[in-house]
Amino acid sequence: MERRKFLSLLGTSAGLAGAGALPQLAKAADKKWTVALVPGLTTDAFYITMHRGADAAAKALGVDLVFQGAPQWGVTLQVPVLQAVIARKPDAILIAPTDKQQLIQPLKQASDAGIAVITVDTFIGNGIYQTGSGDADFPLSYVASDNILGGKIAARALAKAIGDKGKVFVANTIPNVSTTDQREQGFKEEMKSHPNIQILQTQFNDDDANKAAALAQAVLARDADLAGIFGANLFSATGSANGVRAAGKVGKVKIAAFDAPSDIVDHLKDGTFEIAIAQHPGEIGYFGVVAAVAHLTGNSVPALIGTGFTVMSKDNIDDPNVKKYVYTG
Amino acid sequence: MAETGRARPLLDVRSISKSFAAVQALNGVSMQLEAGEVVALAGDNGAGKSTLIKIIAGVYRADGGEIVYNGENVTFETPHAARDHGIETIYQDLALADNLSIGANIFLGREPVRLAFGFLPVLDRGKMAEAAKATMARLDFEVDRVNAPVSRFSGGQRQAVAIGRAIYWEARVLIMDEPMAALGVPEQRRVIALIKNLRAQGKAIIFISHNLSDIFSVSDRIVVLRRGVLAGERRTSETDPDEIVRLMVGG
Amino acid sequence: MSTLSTPVAASRRTTLARISDLRAWLFLILLVVFFEIWAEVTYHSSFVLNPYNLQSISVFATAPLLLALGQTLVIISSGIDLSVGFTMGLAAVIAAHVSNLSMDALGLGEIPAMVLAIAAGIVVSLVPGLVNGWLIAHLRVPPFIGTLGMYGVTRGAAYLIAVGATVPIHNSAYTWVGNGKIGELPFIVLLTAIVVLATHYLLSQTRFGQHTYAIGANRDAAIRAGIDWRRHTIKLYLLSAICAGLAGTLYTGRFLAGAAQAGEPLLLDSIAAVVIGGASLFGGSGTVFGTIAGALVIAVIQYGLVFIDVEPFWQFVAVGVVIIISVLVDQSQRRLAGERQDG
Repeated sequence: MERRKFLSLLGTSAGLAGAGALPQLAKAADKKWTVALVPGLTTDAFYITMHRGADAAAKALGVDLVFQGAPQWGVTLQVPVLQAVIARKPDAILIAPTDKQQLIQPLKQASDAGIAVITVDTFIGNGIYQTGSGDADFPLSYVASDNILGGKIAARALAKAIGDKGKVFVANTIPNVSTTDQREQGFKEEMKSHPNIQILQTQFNDDDANKAAALAQAVLARDADLAGIFGANLFSATGSANGVRAAGKVGKVKIAAFDAPSDIVDHLKDGTFEIAIAQHPGEIGYFGVVAAVAHLTGNSVPALIGTGFTVMSKDNIDDPNVKKYVYTG
Repeated sequence: MAETGRARPLLDVRSISKSFAAVQALNGVSMQLEAGEVVALAGDNGAGKSTLIKIIAGVYRADGGEIVYNGENVTFETPHAARDHGIETIYQDLALADNLSIGANIFLGREPVRLAFGFLPVLDRGKMAEAAKATMARLDFEVDRVNAPVSRFSGGQRQAVAIGRAIYWEARVLIMDEPMAALGVPEQRRVIALIKNLRAQGKAIIFISHNLSDIFSVSDRIVVLRRGVLAGERRTSETDPDEIVRLMVGG
Repeated sequence: MSTLSTPVAASRRTTLARISDLRAWLFLILLVVFFEIWAEVTYHSSFVLNPYNLQSISVFATAPLLLALGQTLVIISSGIDLSVGFTMGLAAVIAAHVSNLSMDALGLGEIPAMVLAIAAGIVVSLVPGLVNGWLIAHLRVPPFIGTLGMYGVTRGAAYLIAVGATVPIHNSAYTWVGNGKIGELPFIVLLTAIVVLATHYLLSQTRFGQHTYAIGANRDAAIRAGIDWRRHTIKLYLLSAICAGLAGTLYTGRFLAGAAQAGEPLLLDSIAAVVIGGASLFGGSGTVFGTIAGALVIAVIQYGLVFIDVEPFWQFVAVGVVIIISVLVDQSQRRLAGERQDG
């Protein structure tokens, strides 16, 4: 405490003496840190909730938080925003990279400029940082839901709902998206320990609910005894649910939905969805900021911070401790 | 010019002048046209042929002079006004919608409509096909496939469609810009026959051509322009290509 | 004097042209026969005589078909409308909000709220339609660029109004519009069929349709014939936007939520449907009849390949191949027509 006060005084006097005259000291001082959060897109409830969590941590720690991003998902949209953010020289950047490879160089620039880089929700390279190998290990930490674990949780819950036997398939969005691929991977891994469950071909729907509905109906036309569907993201889940409803199989085909905006959660009680796996985007934002501040104040941070999930079903959804994880815009 | 002194020409163009910026395109040009007469407009490039027909067709307005049509002094503000008076221009590109039938082209912009089931307005395709057949027959062009798009027809047939559209709407004066250009020899002959046919039906025709043999094979009179002024006017039967060329080049 | 074309050449051309015009239906029949044989052999059941499959495929095809109908009009006039996807999304989001607001804030019943929601979604879609038409007709912006601009504007507007989430509705009347059936016929299929008939009438039986073809083939000819191509162009883009708006409002009823990105994946499908249906992107040709087949071809391929349990990536390959074949057929028949004209 004594040391902090001393540095703080020094920082103030340095500021009075002339800004930038003693940059090293000023930086080490207990000044107001600036942390930038660059989401995958600004218009999504997931990232909006993440922003709220980051904001809460920023207020608690007395940090300035800047939230800047593109309204749509995409490298070409995100990189210019990132460059503008770098130009403002924040102390740390929390970013949800929109591509594993193409964001490496732009983020390297930030890192080289002395800005601490932490990825949230999505990652660059393979997501394993600070190993001293590869060109994408410079970020300090990756803060995210463990999507493989999330897939496993979904598989376990779905297996239970269908009595541990029958046919299921994964409704997925677009191939080669890191997070949704991991959910599918976790789902399939877990299902290996459920030998009476048969996993059918994954159906990709281009993130189009209309197509997801038709694909679910087509699978039902072929396999009328289908027992369950894992919707790996919002539109995969809502589209599949529509297909199941059109086939008159609500309740007979159980649907596990990944993500929990209100249009999924609202339909747990009527049986449209059996379970919804809520990520904790607020937690990701909160711990992202905490990790940044920990690093800036000279503490070490883990290279991987896994945040939790809440499994929602009609039985627990009225519990305020569960309900608070519903994504809201 | 004794031959122009007859009773009353259908179209009487009097001392027309027109300039574009510093360029005097036409300077006091006069010409007359009678029903059932074919006049060829000859002249070198830049002689003012196009400017003259565009003034008659209502595309340009003359700076000076007057046009007397059917005994009335007229000023056409737009091509539509000229067309409403029965003066139709057939440009080289023919202005056809290639994907539509002959009938649809004839009626383009003024399609006939009938009521189906007594309440639903629908295109009267029957009437369009009838008109197409009748009009093409009037031009001695038989078409077996009235419903085929005009893109399926040859250049001469398409020329006939463009002319057919004009005569269906009772054009009295037809202005044709290089009607024989871009056609093969047999097609040229057919268009020449077509023009003679129109003359026989009492239409008045002005056509621009660069080709003296075309001019001599179909026209009754030849009006020669040179650098915006009238270089001469001859009855086709009383002149020869050499004289026309001399008038054109100012020899 | 008679026609120059010999009867033989004429009949050969006509047959080819007819086949070309009907190629989307031929594709469709081939596909259905293929899936039918597969279903009979593998599952000992019928693919096509199964009402469930027919319902699924027809519902699947409604949204892309609605977008494709407006797109057909625009493409015939030698334009293109890239903004339909997000116009659909914008309408979906607006309709969801209006349904919620009119029930929660105005205290309206479900049916009036649903009517108001659908009306609002369609009315809002008029704005991008009007701007597209005005940009193209009056400012002479190329359609590709003008509608690309509106693609961005409608996209931004839709996301802003949705405030980053899908907008759930709680209106069972509206939900019925999206999911209800009259007997065995899904209501949205019935509604789409009505729009199909209206568009077919407009395009094939009215002066409006005739002028659309004329503008697409030769705009100068249309202008010289006294057609006001500017007003006409604005009307075409308005119609395209209305189709997208209707698709968007139906989406909200069907999926119980409005989503800004509802129509984004449908844009390319809508253009593909028109092209497979026999229209030329250069304008002047295309029919509603063809577009229906085009939309069904895409839907049947995607549905059928899942039905016979083929690796999912083949769906993309199959749709791509059909588009390419379709364009090749179009070009070869055009080339033949060209040769005859020159000869």
